[in-house]
Amino acid sequence: MEMLLMGLCMAVFGLGIAALAFGAATRSESSDSAVQPQPSLVKPVVPARFFSDRAAVTPTMPPVVSPQQVPIEVLLLQIENHVRMEQAAAEMFLAFPSQARLHSRTSSPFVN
Amino acid sequence: MTHELLNGLSSAEAEQVLGLGTRLIVPAGTKLFGLGDPADRLFLTERGRIRLTLPMQVRGREEDVFVEERSPGQTVGWSALIPPYRFTLTATAALLEAEVIALPREGLREYFAANPAAGYKIALNLAVVIGHRLQLFQTMWVREMQRTVEVRSV
Repeated sequence: MEMLLMGLCMAVFGLGIAALAFGAATRSESSDSAVQPQPSLVKPVVPARFFSDRAAVTPTMPPVVSPQQVPIEVLLLQIENHVRMEQAAAEMFLAFPSQARLHSRTSSPFVN
Repeated sequence: MTHELLNGLSSAEAEQVLGLGTRLIVPAGTKLFGLGDPADRLFLTERGRIRLTLPMQVRGREEDVFVEERSPGQTVGWSALIPPYRFTLTATAALLEAEVIALPREGLREYFAANPAAGYKIALNLAVVIGHRLQLFQTMWVREMQRTVEVRSV
């Protein structure tokens, strides 16, 4: 009987230690994220709502990234692509001049 | 290799003009000439690609921004024949090594004086090159202006 009680006590004690360790691990994770907040690259399109963690983002809408967040090398590459697309559009106009072709749209992010 | 500047010339005339030049190897990423440099040589692209850039302020930093690219057969640096003989762009060999033929202005002038018929054809070819650049950038300018007007009138 004494052995049974002793075993029961040990089991309860072990369970308590496991619960404490779990609690401590969970707390340290949340405090770390509070100290070093991760900068969000994507601006929320719709404000967060109660009882829902899912952001209501329209699937056709690309993520809005401010120009300051894009590395300068990427920005220069975007400028180069824009110039190439504009030249191609201008070449097309010169080959077959028309008002529609003069102001045709390209897929450049600088004009959309 | 057919060069746009030598269109319409006989093979003998083309050889004579090419004979005035010097072959240059331009390692990848190396500058062939810079904006504002004295322009005393015209270049015919033989191999590789030449990037033409202009400086622009990007986030407070001066960056060379892509303007145009010239491929084999095309002419680079016609400022050598147009006053005030200063390059108005920076030319750099693109990702790979490039090879160009550098034609000195003085050598070309002397050749044109001695061979006016060939000089006339080269002048017409140069007019085509310059005219195309003008039309291209005129079109790009109008497109840009249209967008500026659209943005401002909203």
